[in-house]
Amino acid sequence: MFEITDIQRDYITEILNISMGSAAAVLSEMVGEEVGLSVPEVAFLPRRVAADKFDLNNSAKMSGVTQSVSGAINGDALLMFPEEKTLTIVRILLGDTVPVESLTEMEQEAMCEIGNIILNAIVSSVANLLQKEIVSSLPRFISGTGSEIYAINTGCEDDLVMFLKVGFGLESQSINGHVTLMLNVPSLHEFIAHLDEQINAL
Amino acid sequence: MHSDSNALSSVTTKPGASGTDSLFGKVLDLSEHGLFLVDSARKIVLWNEWMAQASSLARGDVIGRTFNEVFPELAGKRVASVIETALDMRTASLLSRSLNKSLFPLFSANGGGERKRIEQSVIVKPIQCDGRDYCLVQITDVTPMVQREEVLRVLAREAEAAQKAAEEISRFKSEFTSTVSHELRTPLTSIRGSLGLVSSGVMGELPLEVNKLVSIACNNTERLLFLINDILDIDKIESGKMDFVIGPVDLMAVLRQALEANQPYGEQYKIRYVLNQVMAGVAVRADTDRLMQVLNNLLSNAAKFSPEGAEVEINVLQNGAMIRVEVKDFGAGIPLQFQSRIFEKFSQADGSDTRKTGGTGLGLSISKAIMEKMGGGIGFETEEGKGTTFYIDICEMAPA
Repeated sequence: MFEITDIQRDYITEILNISMGSAAAVLSEMVGEEVGLSVPEVAFLPRRVAADKFDLNNSAKMSGVTQSVSGAINGDALLMFPEEKTLTIVRILLGDTVPVESLTEMEQEAMCEIGNIILNAIVSSVANLLQKEIVSSLPRFISGTGSEIYAINTGCEDDLVMFLKVGFGLESQSINGHVTLMLNVPSLHEFIAHLDEQINAL
Repeated sequence: MHSDSNALSSVTTKPGASGTDSLFGKVLDLSEHGLFLVDSARKIVLWNEWMAQASSLARGDVIGRTFNEVFPELAGKRVASVIETALDMRTASLLSRSLNKSLFPLFSANGGGERKRIEQSVIVKPIQCDGRDYCLVQITDVTPMVQREEVLRVLAREAEAAQKAAEEISRFKSEFTSTVSHELRTPLTSIRGSLGLVSSGVMGELPLEVNKLVSIACNNTERLLFLINDILDIDKIESGKMDFVIGPVDLMAVLRQALEANQPYGEQYKIRYVLNQVMAGVAVRADTDRLMQVLNNLLSNAAKFSPEGAEVEINVLQNGAMIRVEVKDFGAGIPLQFQSRIFEKFSQADGSDTRKTGGTGLGLSISKAIMEKMGGGIGFETEEGKGTTFYIDICEMAPA
């Protein structure tokens, strides 16, 4: 396990919450109603543990959005919710939707856009922290179990990831999801070094 | 990479003619997507044929002008700000049709002259070339997808409404049946009681003709009561309100009791019940009253469908892990075309108004439901002209 100090944690959480605030403002304007976004929790965990956060046996279906990132960090950024929550989010935000059991093509596209806004906000805060460029790809809709999504049993289950809990506030409903940034280890150390630099400069 | 940059410069450096004279420009013009490129000065440097058609803005009118000059109505909108972020932060964005009400003012040439606004899905991607930043905007016409989902939405709503209506009707029917049956049973019970007293002679001797009529009334009232009780049973089974007290039951004792109860009925049809094969002391997993109801039904059916003077044979035997009770008659057998419907509600082989045998046509359907609830089964074997054997299978159980 990779531990960070309380001060480091508070600092990252603060920065992420500021960018979540602007993402929430964009979403609120798009859908014409109050959307709240927050990052109550930040941790650095092995993939295996991140997958477990969803479900102990990793058999529950999740769905969400992924973007690949390159530059200062290389890998994938994921925004995942339990499958039925994804449905709830899209249907609340779109209002008039098709009442079928899974998301239609256009609903998936809308979910991609929502995820794109949130992931871009997070990735650009991380880029700001590192003071380096991170290029992110277009969003893609994904669904599967925790082990499928975190590629458990492929030899990389012990790789560290930056794991954020994301709270989605909609129409008095509070929906929890997770954002995971798959960081490679050198960039993780670099990330912490930059963090300390900025904290010391305060 | 080198040829890419050549291609880009050939389409971007010649305002007015860009996109038409290079191979890559021709490819872009053949694209089924709208494509345009914005440079770091926010100027449009590439505009493919699809864009020219849909916007009615010729390449020459657009190249070299800024995005805001070409689309003043989009200033401050999300699409304008994601182009800014793509150029400044190098982030890619997607603008879905569902979440963006005002995308580009683009129209399809609809043959008949009427131009319809195109439903769009837009992606915005940063591109770097020769150390310069560009932003590619790609527009996809999703009008067919929008129409498809509109149809799907209507169909899904209709299906939902139809299902609700069907459930409502079914609930109403079942409530109606249950209420009416209850309301009918009370006065019928008192009619039967009164008629019974009159025909028994307690209220004074009746003239022969009157007595005959009173007996007919009495028998038919009885039949109506049976029918109503059966309907109420079916209703209880279907709504899951029939209670079962399952436990070990002494099968032979229940069977003997059922035979005794059906003796008068057998005499009426001039048949004889013969207990042929028995299993003394065997216990089964059942509800005593409901098992009795099933046995009564099978025994009375056998009597009804037997020729005068015939026997009805009863056997109790082991059938694997189950205990089987067979009731065998030597009647006409069940016609082939009726065999598949025999356990359905209100089914009788002779559907005419003048059928000889009484009954509601509900008995076997009730028996089947009861046997299934007790974890057992019911079935029959029949041969036309030779007779029918109905059997029930019940789980064996250690005696209490």
